[in-house]
Amino acid sequence: MTDPLHSLTLAHYLFTGAVLFVLGVIGFISRRNLIIMFLCTEMMFQGVAVTLVAFSRYHQNDTGQTFVIFLLTIAAAEAALALGLVVLLFRRRRTLDAQAWGEMKG
Amino acid sequence: MNLDLIKFIPWLPALAAVLCGLCCTKKALRCLAAPICILSIASGFVIAFLHRGGVPPGGAVVPFFEWINIGGFSANFSYFIDPLTLIMLFVVCGIGTLVAWYAAFYMKGDKGYARFFTFVSLFIFAMTNLVMADNLVLLYLGWEGVGLCSYLLIGYYYNKPSAVAAAKKAFIVNRIGDLGFALGIFLVYQTFGTVSLREAIIAAEHVSEPSTAVTLIPFLLMLGAFGKSAQLPLYVWLPDAMEGPTPVSALIHAATMVTAGVYMIARLLPIFVLSPYALPVVAVVGGLTAVFAATIALCQYDIKRIYAYSTISQLGYMFLGVGALSTVGGVFHLFTHAFFKALLFLTAGSVMHALAGQLDLRKMSGLRTKMPVTCWLMFVGCLALAGFPLTAGFFSKDMILAAVMEKGLGEHGQPLFLALGILGLFTAFLTAFYTFRLWFRVFMGPEQYEMGEEHHGAEEHGHDHGHGEDAKPQAASDIKVEHHHDAHEMPLLMNLPLIVLAAGAIAAGYWAEHSGWIESMVESSTAAVHGGESAHAAELFGYHLHTAMMVISSAISILGIALAAYFHWLNRPAADAAARQYKSIVTLLNNKYYVDEINDAAIVTPLRTKGEIFFAIDRLIIDALVTLVGLVPRALGIGARRLQTGALQGYGLGMACGAAVLLLLVLFVAN
Amino acid sequence: MNPTTIMLVMILVPLLGGLGLMFLPRGNDSAVRPFALAYTLLTFALSLGLAFQFDWTRTQDLQFGFFHNWVPAFGLKFGFGIDAISLWLVLLTTFLMPLVVLGSFTAVKERAREFFLWLLVLEAAMLGTFVATDIFFFYICFEFTLVPLYFLIGIFGSTDRLRAARVFFLYTFTGSMLTFAGVLYVAWFNTTLDAATPFTGAGVWSFNIVTLYHAAAYMTVAQQSWVLLALLAGFAVKVPIFPFHTWLPLAHTEAPTAGSVILAGVLLKLGTYGLLRFAIPMTGVALDPVIGPVPGALVHFAPWIAGLAIIGILYTALICWVQKDIKKLIAYSSVSHLGFCVLGLFAINTIGVGGAVAYMVNHGLSTGALFLCVGMIYERFHTREMARMGGLASVMPIWSTFMIFFCLASVGLPGLNGFVGEFLTLLGAFTAGNVLGPWYAAVAGVGMIFGAIYILYMAGRVVWGPTKIPTDDHGDAHGHGHEVKDLSAREIGVLAPLAIGCLVLGLYPTPFLRSLEAPIERLTEPARLMIAARASNQARDAHLTDIMAEERALNEDGMTIIVPELPGLAAPPAVAPPAEPER
Repeated sequence: MTDPLHSLTLAHYLFTGAVLFVLGVIGFISRRNLIIMFLCTEMMFQGVAVTLVAFSRYHQNDTGQTFVIFLLTIAAAEAALALGLVVLLFRRRRTLDAQAWGEMKG
Repeated sequence: MNLDLIKFIPWLPALAAVLCGLCCTKKALRCLAAPICILSIASGFVIAFLHRGGVPPGGAVVPFFEWINIGGFSANFSYFIDPLTLIMLFVVCGIGTLVAWYAAFYMKGDKGYARFFTFVSLFIFAMTNLVMADNLVLLYLGWEGVGLCSYLLIGYYYNKPSAVAAAKKAFIVNRIGDLGFALGIFLVYQTFGTVSLREAIIAAEHVSEPSTAVTLIPFLLMLGAFGKSAQLPLYVWLPDAMEGPTPVSALIHAATMVTAGVYMIARLLPIFVLSPYALPVVAVVGGLTAVFAATIALCQYDIKRIYAYSTISQLGYMFLGVGALSTVGGVFHLFTHAFFKALLFLTAGSVMHALAGQLDLRKMSGLRTKMPVTCWLMFVGCLALAGFPLTAGFFSKDMILAAVMEKGLGEHGQPLFLALGILGLFTAFLTAFYTFRLWFRVFMGPEQYEMGEEHHGAEEHGHDHGHGEDAKPQAASDIKVEHHHDAHEMPLLMNLPLIVLAAGAIAAGYWAEHSGWIESMVESSTAAVHGGESAHAAELFGYHLHTAMMVISSAISILGIALAAYFHWLNRPAADAAARQYKSIVTLLNNKYYVDEINDAAIVTPLRTKGEIFFAIDRLIIDALVTLVGLVPRALGIGARRLQTGALQGYGLGMACGAAVLLLLVLFVAN
Repeated sequence: MNPTTIMLVMILVPLLGGLGLMFLPRGNDSAVRPFALAYTLLTFALSLGLAFQFDWTRTQDLQFGFFHNWVPAFGLKFGFGIDAISLWLVLLTTFLMPLVVLGSFTAVKERAREFFLWLLVLEAAMLGTFVATDIFFFYICFEFTLVPLYFLIGIFGSTDRLRAARVFFLYTFTGSMLTFAGVLYVAWFNTTLDAATPFTGAGVWSFNIVTLYHAAAYMTVAQQSWVLLALLAGFAVKVPIFPFHTWLPLAHTEAPTAGSVILAGVLLKLGTYGLLRFAIPMTGVALDPVIGPVPGALVHFAPWIAGLAIIGILYTALICWVQKDIKKLIAYSSVSHLGFCVLGLFAINTIGVGGAVAYMVNHGLSTGALFLCVGMIYERFHTREMARMGGLASVMPIWSTFMIFFCLASVGLPGLNGFVGEFLTLLGAFTAGNVLGPWYAAVAGVGMIFGAIYILYMAGRVVWGPTKIPTDDHGDAHGHGHEVKDLSAREIGVLAPLAIGCLVLGLYPTPFLRSLEAPIERLTEPARLMIAARASNQARDAHLTDIMAEERALNEDGMTIIVPELPGLAAPPAVAPPAEPER
């Protein structure tokens, strides 16, 4: 019996995770919209989560999975907070452009 | 005899100082200060007197309580009593009582009455510690303590800038000597392993081959003695010290404190003889100081300053005596000098009191009718100072000169001592002259005088209105009114101590020498000269040297007095003419050889300039260097701030690249 | 109560007090001052209890020892324990604090709560430093003292306070980072040692002071030199030793009175305490695996450090003399005075080091008191410029009496406390034959003269002389009305205990000094033994040279060569191995 899932090796999962992560990085660096950037960081997050789950299954150890569940919960809370902050920032400058916030420029 | 009481001699005045200090706080209590102070000093005298015969030969140590003990070093409050200590105690407590008595009247009505007696009590505390110390560190405590009291009392009229400056000068010049003294103590500790006087002296007596370090000790200690006893080159503070109230000048700057140096050398004689050069150096410095100060005294106009220079000169004699290994002579002169110099200062105080602070010789004359008692009391003092035959000063000065001459003319005659002896005789002549110049000027001749501007006892009058807490005491205004009236004689109670002193100035010398008291006392103390030169006395002009010297010095003293009588009583214009003729010398002497100016230019100003320069260095160089070091991170920061673009994406990129680099590193390095 | 508990409570009480201050009802600041005073007094009482429980027969032991594991993996512990040196410094701290608090009652008008909070926190940090037996814990407390003082200067200081606070913080912090590096190096070195090395704790992470003493002895002289330099970097800045002193006058002048008093009274002593507690025992001896014990880095460096101390004494004393600001004068005088202290420390003999510890305590009392006196003047006249005041003796007699008294204590008048330290440090330096010597004492002694010059100069300007009351810009005399008020009962209450302390320690310091002997002997033992050994080596070399010369002379005469036997030439003089640590 060939369960399609069984033909997937660890490498597939890792590849997916890496792709997610890299997409996230590229998106974060190239986009200016704060919300998009935030979504990109979430994407990186999920990439890492996938990797964790993959390793967890691979090692037949539940720790990683448990961890990811925690992670998702926290990510949800954090997303709520972050979006709130983004809204706050938007109200200040009436734009979502990240370039508008350059106070840290030395 | 039980010596336990002895240890309270210093501590009674200490208690008195505390009580007098408390008297300062309440106006009503002020008048109590004088009796407390007098009582404490007098009881010290009584205790010392009770023990006059009870001191075991070689002295006794009376421990009191522990002071500094660490790592084998030990210096305690314990007292060493031997005959020399007793002599000093008699002088300090005896003269102290009399002067305090006098001051009780002299200072009356002064705002700082209680403060004055606090300081005097404190002084007696320190001075008795000095003469009773069983170890060098306690001696040093007394040494610095008397210096402190001298500082406080010179600066007693602290609103006067000159008094403040004089006080500061006294303390600092003394400190220079004290540094030498302290180093001397260190060296004693290092070589003998103890600071106890008795142990150090015993150790010193057993030194067979003195090392360099040992021979250095007396020179270091000497420096302290020269500072405290106002010898060349550290004498400069004493004339200025006359800014203090006159009783202070009498007690501290004539009778007691300034003789501490002589006492110290006499006490530590066994250590001083370790170096063959130490005592001759003492003698030379003493002799030179004697003549140097006497010449300055010739051309001063301020009564107290004349006496100050005369004190320096007489102290020079004492050093000369001790330096010639005649500790008996040195201590004897110390003893008699205490009487007549205290008397002279106190009578000078009376004159000053009567003339509202006037001290200028040129502005007074013929006071004998106004102040007959003072006049003749001072006359007695002057006779003794001038070494008039059979007065106290005559015997003691003679003993010193005879001892010096003996070293000069004796078996192994040293020309150095012969020269010093002649110098001493010349000084005796100068002394007689300047002493009587003063006396004839003040009391003889036509009666005329100008009142001074100060009001004794009302010194701080001006300030009292300022803050109103101090209503003028009745007595003070009485005296003040009197001042404005005219010159006047002092009340009998005030003159009483002077009469006692005058009796001493006449009789103490004859009694002490002919009863053999002073000699037996000194010879049974640590100041005894062991195995000195043979008893074979030198002769001069076929007479026994001692007799010959008596005759010579009598003649010299009478000559000096006669000359003074001619120039300053009978024919004053002649003196003025002579002064005009030798104007340059007179100016030089009147300006005290410009020593103060030279010191200022050579020492004080350069040091202060150094201070300024160092301060500039501190701010401009050291601080700048620190700032420079601080600039390094700042410069780095300037470079690094470019990286800080402020764009979120920039940071993200940096982070990603950094992570990538790390990963690659791990990959390559791990493999 | 168990003494160890007393000790812990003593450190916690100020912290609790600080916490309590925050919970006092808002808007009612009148309770703040008595509250802070009560807590400092309680701390003082506890420290007295500690002194009462202390076993004075074995003052060298770190008594009331207590350990609590913190980070076991690195051997970090909260380690407490006190010997006599620590105890005296603890007593100095707890004694000064109530007086400082009492002295600041009226000086601080705004943000009083915060002010006293920082004071209390500072007290806890200082106490922690003195009782720590774990270097890491010591270091934390040592650094933590900077934080409260930073705020005390930065918030409550005078005009240039921000710069002063910043310079003070950065300067001392930079130095102590290097110290920390040195400490870490020693601790790391300890882990590299063979576990068979004859003392407990070798080969594992430990920051216990005693363990590290032993570990450091196994370093080479070169390694020790680096450690010594690193330790010095922090402690020399703190003391401060010339030329690392420039932060001090600035910090002192800008700090509020309380800050100056604590800075001069206690914080500077952290530097000298650190030198005594760490630098001296750690680098005294180096156990060379081949030739046995040789003199450690300390013995080589001591003359140089003492030299810097002497330069500092004279240099800053002359600077004092040209100051116009009275507080700056006293600040510079601290540098000069601490020079004596360092000189005594590096004489490495019981007398010198004992004098140095005496100096730490005495300087805390007298200079602290001088700063308080100046603070009282500043409160009245709002100026510290000497040219603008004078002759205060006639208007403020009580203040003047105290001022002169403390000035005299400061110039080292025998009978007052300053003398004991000054005399013993100089004597120590004088007799430290193989390290320093007479010349060091002689040159440093000139500082005694300079000390008298600048102190009397100040007294002559401010206390004596014609009366001159500072006027403000409108030409009015300061103070309410035109009358200058002398000290209040509260202010007398601040100064009188200090004066009594000065007198007692000046007249009867024996118990104090005796209790210092044993701990000092323990701390300096390695270095002292090596110095003594070096001395005997020199004597032996001299002896050898003599014999060689004799031999040569005999040889030239054509006589038989006698080869004398030299006692002790083959084996270097034995030095007792370091004692086993107590714990």
